[in-house]
Amino acid sequence: MLSEKEAKQIIDTVVSLSKADDVDVAINGGTTSNLRFARNTPSTSGTASNTVVSVQSTFGKRTGTSTTNQLDKASLHDVVARAEELARLAPEDPEYMPPLGPQKYPSVKAYFEKTAKVGPEFLANGASECIKQASAKKLVAAGFIRTNAGFNAIGNSKGLFGYHTSTTIGFSETVRTADGGGSGWVSRAANKTEDINFRQLSKIAVDKAVASIEPMNLKPGKYVTILEHSCVADLLGSMAFSMNARNADEGRSFFSQKGGGNKLGETIFPEFVNLYSDPADPIAPGGRWSAGGLPNKKTEWIKNGTVANLFYTRYWAEKQGKEPVGFPSNIIMKGGKGSLDDLIRSTKQGILVTSFWYIRSVDPRTILLTGLTRDGVYWIENGKIAFPVNNFRWNDSPISMLKNIEAMSKEKRVPPRESGSSGFVIPALKLKEFNFSSQSEAV
Amino acid sequence: MKRRDFLKATAATGTLLFLPDLTRAKSSHIRFADPDLAALAQIALNTAKSLKATYADIRIARYRTQSINTREKRVTNVSDAENYGFGVRVLANGTWGFAGSQNVTKDEIAKVTKSAVAIAKANSKIQKEPVRLAPVGSVLATWNTPVRINPFNVSLNDKINMLLAINEEALKVKGVSFCTSGMSFVNESKFFASTEGSFIDQDLFRCNPSFTVTAVNREKGLFESRNSYSEPMGTGFEYVADYPWFDDVRLAAEDCLEKFSAKSVEPGKRDLLLHPSNLWLTIHESVGHPTELDRAMGMEANYAGTSFLTLDKLGTFKFGSDIVNFIGDKTQKDGLATCGYDDDGVPTKQGHIVKDGVFVDYQTTRDQAHVINRKESHGCSYSQSWADVPFQRMPNISLEPGKTPMTLNQLLANTEDAILVKGRGSYSIDHQRYNFQFGGQTFYEVKNGKIAGMLKDVAYQARTPDFWNSCDAICSKEEYWLGGSFNDGKGEPGQSNAVSHGCCPARFRQVNILNTARST
Repeated sequence: MLSEKEAKQIIDTVVSLSKADDVDVAINGGTTSNLRFARNTPSTSGTASNTVVSVQSTFGKRTGTSTTNQLDKASLHDVVARAEELARLAPEDPEYMPPLGPQKYPSVKAYFEKTAKVGPEFLANGASECIKQASAKKLVAAGFIRTNAGFNAIGNSKGLFGYHTSTTIGFSETVRTADGGGSGWVSRAANKTEDINFRQLSKIAVDKAVASIEPMNLKPGKYVTILEHSCVADLLGSMAFSMNARNADEGRSFFSQKGGGNKLGETIFPEFVNLYSDPADPIAPGGRWSAGGLPNKKTEWIKNGTVANLFYTRYWAEKQGKEPVGFPSNIIMKGGKGSLDDLIRSTKQGILVTSFWYIRSVDPRTILLTGLTRDGVYWIENGKIAFPVNNFRWNDSPISMLKNIEAMSKEKRVPPRESGSSGFVIPALKLKEFNFSSQSEAV
Repeated sequence: MKRRDFLKATAATGTLLFLPDLTRAKSSHIRFADPDLAALAQIALNTAKSLKATYADIRIARYRTQSINTREKRVTNVSDAENYGFGVRVLANGTWGFAGSQNVTKDEIAKVTKSAVAIAKANSKIQKEPVRLAPVGSVLATWNTPVRINPFNVSLNDKINMLLAINEEALKVKGVSFCTSGMSFVNESKFFASTEGSFIDQDLFRCNPSFTVTAVNREKGLFESRNSYSEPMGTGFEYVADYPWFDDVRLAAEDCLEKFSAKSVEPGKRDLLLHPSNLWLTIHESVGHPTELDRAMGMEANYAGTSFLTLDKLGTFKFGSDIVNFIGDKTQKDGLATCGYDDDGVPTKQGHIVKDGVFVDYQTTRDQAHVINRKESHGCSYSQSWADVPFQRMPNISLEPGKTPMTLNQLLANTEDAILVKGRGSYSIDHQRYNFQFGGQTFYEVKNGKIAGMLKDVAYQARTPDFWNSCDAICSKEEYWLGGSFNDGKGEPGQSNAVSHGCCPARFRQVNILNTARST
């Protein structure tokens, strides 16, 4: 992993080698280590380090990008020459925006030395804890533990420079019965290893697996539904990452306004719906900058149920007379005061869903998605989990999910299962209805 | 459209396509900085053995990629990337360990190999099933994708002009609002050596060209899109040069406009005619993934999922109707997964996965073959880069053409009431590969042997064995089409595999049709 000084030296070298009118440099690197286990035993495990230098050269409005992972001076010379060759061959880009000068980036605490230093024993001990708990109940554990210590640096010929470090740990585990008739799942992400308690988390997957044995046959249909945090994160991500102002203005997005324009300022959801990004969030810190070195800052996406921001590239913002707004650096939704158990207790009849799987867009005009439930679906009766039920395919949308909220738990950092992204802090939601379209006999 | 016709078409739109006449698949850059790869590899193998590893392999690999993207009259991205490094995999105390680095030097190789052994030994304390490798012979070999035109030697101007000409052609059609197009190329050069005595040098190429046309009706707040019917291929630039871009993009533009007034489908059970441009993805999801042995064993239980094709079903389970035959084939011409040797150093081959409707074999690697009492691996080990661990990945899996001569037109003429689906659309399937739901790019009503108009808002949903057992007609080999996925994800950390699927148009009886506009 390069220090700030080493990263700056490489950027300075690239800038000094450049013959272009402008040159932008991005360096990303680090070391990642991981351990997979399945069938109550390790399967694959490894570590790898890599650093990638990306150079974008510009002559007038012609740009080209070249990337290498070899950091010696000859390789840097080659990558600059290749970027310049591509730039000279490329046609003029009418939407080219000149590089930003020096910027002030938010302070983000995301790097923890102890996490950066963990070795293979840490991963093996974590897996061992999970395997022990599953084996004790004659269950079968499969899981994944991954640590990463990395950095990002950005710089250009106009004097911009930024450096950011982060550590992350991700953990997920699926516990199944030996006959494959029951299954439970848990997942968490954090920036420091101390925030992942393998024993406590593994117990969640074990308990869910035991509670899922011999599911009852429940017909598809619309039911009162509690979506656990991971499900909500998956659906919210699909909506938030489609809040692109240009697509909306061009008429090809849910956020397009009929007849022209976009839905900025339109109240779509109940007033308690608030969604925002904040790079300095202490629970799930985000990156310090967006594309081109634009500083990230706290950005409200949905405020009191109203569309408060869409993301604007620098070009589109200038064309529309707006301020540029970076891509979401993380997704935070403010929840209620209670827990997931409180949501269950408040439910007379309904379905509890642990996680979603294989989510795909069906109709971008309505953000209609399809997907499946996985590893823990239960029927709630009079405030208690009564029995497990079969998995379902569903066809529904994050828009109707937010419109149908009946109650929210407190927010928590849980990764969406489908995308695996770690920067989500969201509540579990109790919905008036959710559309389960067919049964899935998968367990 | 053949290459000559394409040239004619591009000339007509004021562009010039120049394709160098190259006959050998060699990159213009230096593949490996140190020519003595065997000596470098030997450091890893010797270091591992000295630390009591019972097996070791090393892949020294360089990946070159290029991508160009455009929208309307604008080039939005031109980028080249190179990624070079090595990964060492060892077996110590019956446990796998892996480590990799971008610094391909003698000292680094020794250090990284020690790290791989240390990881294996740390994990061996909780290992319950020692890894067993099926035997493989030692191989000294070179294998190159037989490309006609190295894409990295085709000028950037020619590529850009081609893409902008495609966009221009779409935008000529009144009512079309947007057209994006792009092409990307991969050159995977890797040198493999193992303690089995193998030294294998391979140079692989893949390409992925495509476009998307969009029409917007602002007054009504509607928009419709259609993607190209082009496919990613395990070839050089020749596929890009020969593809009938202008025919496809003009049709796509017209399709977008027709979709606005197309009839919304009535949900319910209907017969389906699946064009290969749609069917390949259904094969990928419902045949390719459930026949992966690692899934059936539970190795993917935490991520990709398990499989309804459990081990007890091997050799007996009636997967499809009697006319359904699937071949796993890593030697298939132009296949994205095609290579000479897998990342275990096993020679690639072909064989039945489903024969006469019965499930007869899984995809395997060296450390899995013993699970199903096979004496050798089927050569399905792959790693997306030097920095990742090789594991079981899908070979090209294709549906054999029907034995009775039958064109698509003949199949249509012989069908009373059905929906014809073309192109890759939305796709989703459960974690044991039972319940799937697929969309498409275009849908047509078939009545009394003829196309009776376009439909929209269509998705089909079925249970895998029910679906393949409902297959009652497969066109013959003159309709064969090779589709494929450029980025098929699996594993933790996630890895990408490119894989092709060939098939002919086929008919399926009484499949559940959803109306996606009325789904919530």
